[in-house]
Amino acid sequence: MELAYFLIETVVKVVAVFAVLMLVVAYLTLAERKILGRIQVRYGPNRVGPFGLFQPIADGIKAFFKEDLVPARADKTLFVIAPMISITAAISLFAVIPFGEQIELFGRRISLTIASLDIGLLYVFAVASLGEYGIVLGGWSGYNKYGLMGALRAAAQMISYEVALALSVMGVLMIAGTLNLVEIVRQQAGWHWNILYQPFAFIFYLVCALAEINRTPFDMPEAEAELACGFNIEYSSMKFALFFMAEYAHLVAVCAIATTLFLGGWDGPFNLPPALSWIWFVAKTGILVYFFIWERGTFPRLRYDQIMRFGWKFLLPLTLANIVGTGLYMVLRGM
Amino acid sequence: MRNAQITPRKLKEKFPDAILDTLSFREEETVVVKKEAILPICRFLAQEPALSYDFLTDICGVDYPDREKRFELVYHLYSMGRNTRLRLKTAVGEGEALSTVESVWKAATWFEREAYDMFGLTFEGHHDLRRLLTWDGYKGHPLRKDFPVKGEDFEHYEVPAMPPDAFSTMPEEAGGEREMILNMGPQHPATHGVLRVVLKLDGEIIRDAVPYVGHLHRGVEKLAEQMTYTQAITLTDRLDYTAGICNNLSYVLTVEKLLGIEAPKRAQYIRVMMAELQRIAAHLLWLATHALDMGAMTVLFYCFRERETVIDILEDITGARLTPSFLRIGGLAADLPDGVEAKIKAFLDDFPRRMREYETLLTKNIIWLKRTKDVGVISPEKAINWGLTGPVIRGSGVNWDIRKAFPYSSYDEFAFEIPIGEHGDVYDRYLVRLEEMRQSARIVRQALQGLPKGKVRVADPRVTPPAKEELGKEINAVIRHFKLMSEGISPPPGEVYCSVENPKGELGWYLVSDGTNRPYRYRIHTPSFVNVAVLPEMIKGLLVADVVAVIGSIDIVLGEIDR
Repeated sequence: MELAYFLIETVVKVVAVFAVLMLVVAYLTLAERKILGRIQVRYGPNRVGPFGLFQPIADGIKAFFKEDLVPARADKTLFVIAPMISITAAISLFAVIPFGEQIELFGRRISLTIASLDIGLLYVFAVASLGEYGIVLGGWSGYNKYGLMGALRAAAQMISYEVALALSVMGVLMIAGTLNLVEIVRQQAGWHWNILYQPFAFIFYLVCALAEINRTPFDMPEAEAELACGFNIEYSSMKFALFFMAEYAHLVAVCAIATTLFLGGWDGPFNLPPALSWIWFVAKTGILVYFFIWERGTFPRLRYDQIMRFGWKFLLPLTLANIVGTGLYMVLRGM
Repeated sequence: MRNAQITPRKLKEKFPDAILDTLSFREEETVVVKKEAILPICRFLAQEPALSYDFLTDICGVDYPDREKRFELVYHLYSMGRNTRLRLKTAVGEGEALSTVESVWKAATWFEREAYDMFGLTFEGHHDLRRLLTWDGYKGHPLRKDFPVKGEDFEHYEVPAMPPDAFSTMPEEAGGEREMILNMGPQHPATHGVLRVVLKLDGEIIRDAVPYVGHLHRGVEKLAEQMTYTQAITLTDRLDYTAGICNNLSYVLTVEKLLGIEAPKRAQYIRVMMAELQRIAAHLLWLATHALDMGAMTVLFYCFRERETVIDILEDITGARLTPSFLRIGGLAADLPDGVEAKIKAFLDDFPRRMREYETLLTKNIIWLKRTKDVGVISPEKAINWGLTGPVIRGSGVNWDIRKAFPYSSYDEFAFEIPIGEHGDVYDRYLVRLEEMRQSARIVRQALQGLPKGKVRVADPRVTPPAKEELGKEINAVIRHFKLMSEGISPPPGEVYCSVENPKGELGWYLVSDGTNRPYRYRIHTPSFVNVAVLPEMIKGLLVADVVAVIGSIDIVLGEIDR
């Protein structure tokens, strides 16, 4: 009986998270276009529905009915699988993210996370790297040189920045002493947010995250100016839309993880009832998402070799120094 | 101009047998030389310290089917140090070859390819004599006088098979070695039109590059030979379509030089004012696209906002946004409309603040610096040898601006500075163009303040139709009007070269008149043509991402490369 309840509970949570996430991703595209429009002295979409609110739906319908082209010389299997890998990996990240405090429902204590894994953070890194396979395979399988170059860049960038990304959160792990994300959030309750103890790590994390989700100034794999869209150059219709959704889902995931690790998760300036604690989480994630959109409107794109150099020669030593610094601090404080 | 006359004397001393004739028309020196002696003469002209014609402006052919030696090859030389031009002409018969001057001026490479393409002239020793504007396998040479103009005059024409490329585009056919061939363009978001560059890549490093142009070739020079001098103004708008007024200006100045007339002062000031506004608009478009190529999307929209204001002003004056065709031989089509001066003034007051906005986003931005500094460097010596013009040569530190060197249209009455760079990289060219926009705004303000009163058309019955009031009273006026409108203007026989400083560089016309109402030869020397020829030189050894940075920084418009 307990197993049945558990299954029902998990299924409901999965469906709810998936539905909300898809909605968020759809409207994130609208939000990005609107905010960028504001930055760039133009309106953004405002024709479909009030304030352009139905634009994502129109886009979705359009993508669905477009002709689905597969290049003649493409590796068909990989070509089809690649976008699926990307979107699956991006969505799976949300399995371990704690959205809010435990709530009481039908006499059961239900935690607002799909799976409270003890190796939550490890899972995050493992799955996030899988997403890059989608990009690499997608670029390679389309039999297009621009796609191939995009794929190569993605592979190189992934390896470089995954290392720095993992090292940047190491300080948090050392303080928390656990990989369980729910536990990490609990430890931050009452204004003990990790950003106060690990401010540099937070900045490193944001920079690495930019590279991880391929956004300006690190949008090498798709650099539309030189590679004419890079890895997704041969994709059309829903397959293209899947890559697109994966990118935005990944963006939300990266922000959600930053909120969890550095900004105290669902912990807020004042306490809301447990059933509403997710509001803080959403607000913090939203601010980070806004930051990512904002910087896209500001920066030019770096060059491929400069990104590599920046990753290995600048970020990596700094993240290592941060770990050493954290270690020294802990020893001196006798933690 | 006495300066120029030492050249024929020196040449006659050195090559007594090879100099056939020396001519002087409208203060332009022409030396006719023997075909066989062209290379030694060119080398002498370029290397003799007292002459130092270090800059090759243009090479073009002219076809005279009735002559014994059918073609004439015309070289336009310029001496930077002495600020003097010289025209060399040599007669070439059908099927004869003459030696290339590539070894003297690198700029000759593309000009000679164009002459080969358009006239079928061959050059001995040219390292890469292929067709330039048409494709390999094209039949005929379009600028020969016997090449048909209308569709029905053509015989059955078969489209040749796919043109073979400099490099094969398939990796396995390229040898399957370390290198990959990447075909960039003609459909590519960052090649600014239909430029095609074939890159040989080692990873992302460019080992070699071959640009292909001509996808937009419309045969403007041939078309113009069928039009009257006034009709041919409309063709000029469509060359560098970002700077229609400046193109108009260059062409009408050349015809005016041919006729020996000068526009009234007021018309000259308005021309300057409009040309400088157009320069601002063209540079804004450059900045917008250049920044977008580097991923700085927001700058694009900011620049388009201001460009819109300028284009609105030009539309108020000319009635058109892109293709004004507003200048006339001997003046302007009309005077300024009411209220436009206030609009220009409002724009000028607002513009410095907007410039600061762009600079905030780019000039000190570390990513922008990293992408542009020491990228696409071209040394001043190379820039001169390759015949570069405009902001590209000034970015390399060569102080060469036609507005100062050969002031036209009263430019000598305005105070402005010519910005020059130091390193000749993408960043310096960026700074040069930004400063040029400020200087242009300065000129516009001066033109507005000092605008003289008076007519905007010259009082010359050869070019200006009679006023409307006269038409009702005088039968002679009606006849004159009719003849001017139907026949057009007939300049005296002769040839002139005249150029202006366009936003992209030196835009010049070489017009040959045979005394009729149509130009016998309508040769356009366009800045983008010479600037894009140097592209492989600039990008070898750089990365793929730098290609778009360099293309953006030399600011090409394919409309004027391909003509």
